[in-house]
Amino acid sequence: MSEFLVELKDVWRTYNQGVEPVHALQGVSLKIKESEYVAIMGTSGSGKSTLMNLLGCLDRPSQGQYLLDGTDISTRSEDELAEIRNKSVGFVFQQFNLLPSMSALDNVMLPLVYAGMGKEQRTMRAEQALKDLGLGNRIHHKPSELSGGQQQRVAIARSIVNRPRILLADEPTGALDSHTAKEIMSLFTKLTEEGITVILVTHDPETAACARRIVKVRDGRILEDLIIGKVQ
Amino acid sequence: MSNRLRSLLTVLGIVIGIASVITLLGIGKGAQLEAEKQVQSLGTNLIFIRPGSQSSSSISFGQGTIQTLTYEDALAVKKNCPAVLNIAPQYSSQLQVQYGEKNTLTTINATEPSYTTIRNFNPAQGRFFNDSESREEARVCVLGDTVAADLFGFSDPLKKKILIRGELFDVIGVMEHKGANSAVDMDDQIFIPLSTGYSALFGLSQVTGRTVKSILVEAKPQEDDLAQFQITNLLRFRHHITAPGEDDFTLRTQSDIMQAAQSITGVFSLLLGTTAGISLVVGGIGIMNIMLVSVTERTREIGVRKAIGAKYSQILSQFVIEATVMSLSGGIVGIILGIVCSNALSSFANWKAVVSLDSIFLSFFVSLGIGLFFGIYPARTAAKLDPIVALRSD
Repeated sequence: MSEFLVELKDVWRTYNQGVEPVHALQGVSLKIKESEYVAIMGTSGSGKSTLMNLLGCLDRPSQGQYLLDGTDISTRSEDELAEIRNKSVGFVFQQFNLLPSMSALDNVMLPLVYAGMGKEQRTMRAEQALKDLGLGNRIHHKPSELSGGQQQRVAIARSIVNRPRILLADEPTGALDSHTAKEIMSLFTKLTEEGITVILVTHDPETAACARRIVKVRDGRILEDLIIGKVQ
Repeated sequence: MSNRLRSLLTVLGIVIGIASVITLLGIGKGAQLEAEKQVQSLGTNLIFIRPGSQSSSSISFGQGTIQTLTYEDALAVKKNCPAVLNIAPQYSSQLQVQYGEKNTLTTINATEPSYTTIRNFNPAQGRFFNDSESREEARVCVLGDTVAADLFGFSDPLKKKILIRGELFDVIGVMEHKGANSAVDMDDQIFIPLSTGYSALFGLSQVTGRTVKSILVEAKPQEDDLAQFQITNLLRFRHHITAPGEDDFTLRTQSDIMQAAQSITGVFSLLLGTTAGISLVVGGIGIMNIMLVSVTERTREIGVRKAIGAKYSQILSQFVIEATVMSLSGGIVGIILGIVCSNALSSFANWKAVVSLDSIFLSFFVSLGIGLFFGIYPARTAAKLDPIVALRSD
């Protein structure tokens, strides 16, 4: 077993949509240890979204290898990827992406439903996750009845309820005011202390500054890989 | 909210489809029961003997196309066939009838007193002619319900004299109301003794040959097959028909008539059911349409679900279940509506519509099937979505 949780080995991702193939990633190699707090930075078109999709197992590399916790993602089927996402990956989006017709509790329970957990157990787990994030009195509210910060916390609860190995956050504070954004960012710090690896995708240097390590991406390549804080 | 309205309208398509299936099948079933009732009202263990008429698959081109049956044949059937309980030969003709100023054209049915028991058709007023009147060629007649009303209105026809083709007849009775069956109006007839008919109206005698238009036979209970066999053999013998020759008469039993009626009402039911079935297909296409719209509108939701670990089969079953719930709830409401419509039709429109348990089960499973069939394509579209593309959509 590798000492790294995430290991990208010379990964290429090529899209064959137009006349000429587009190389969104061109030989990216990246290693991330458990409970690291990494920010991936880059402008739009830099390949950071493609990188995030790969890291989140939504996509497979065209070339190269991606090992997540020692298992090779490159050769897995769609359904196997779905299972890996369900068990090992959590997603937090800029637009929260909660299902509007469901209560906070039902939203948080959804990954557990897909994992096939029994009703009693998943209700307990989801309630606990919401309580841990200070939403104990909001569990039966619909997303439309919650503030942006509360919605994002529900989304975070949903992403960690299945106890994933890595948490991928795509511009998680992009739709929030600066005060709420700060709260959310400190939440991520807390999660890394609990052993979850957080990978932040952002173009905002201030948000990225909360991480311990910054990976800058441009034109499908890694430009810089800086450690800015002390890694435990 | 507009979503809910759209789903409701879609479900309405199924509701109407299923309700019409239930109602139309009910009407078909009602017609079938009505036909069976009418055939049973003809009598019991009946066999009709008719002269060789040209016919093809239960459609007769008119009895008496060839006149081969005689009064003597009828007597021989009664005398020589042990399985035969009773017979009533008939000779009928359309003739002008007159009472005072009133004038009508009706069927004169010359027969014998046994007719009333064989057909289970009795006088409501007065009496039918008896055997001695039959022997003595008495000028007596019994009026059908309709004829009595036509000639006498509300006055009492008993003991009056009427003219049948210029001959005077005493009215001795009026028949009960029987109604029309598929072939003839049973109430638009006048009954006279067969012997009287031969001598006074039809100009037939033993010398010229007393033909009959039909012979009604009542077989002994459970012996109609045997009676049919005996009659066929006897008549072939009497008519000198040998092996390769075909019968110059036809026998129809009550069960033949029942089968004919059933096959007609069966076709009727099938037609009605098919018509309703087409509306169900339209309803199913409506469901498919709404599901496709739903998949498009909820692309991002599908992306989120996939991102958090929904497998192909889990997305597929979600949408198939949604389609099935829609069509099934439409089906259940449709079944209830169909039963209500059938009952309303039975009580207001004077037409029996009988909802059978079969048609309820059929409708239930058909609506289930529609949901599955028309839901599977939109569901596959949803399940096949690429999560990255789906997440990026608005």
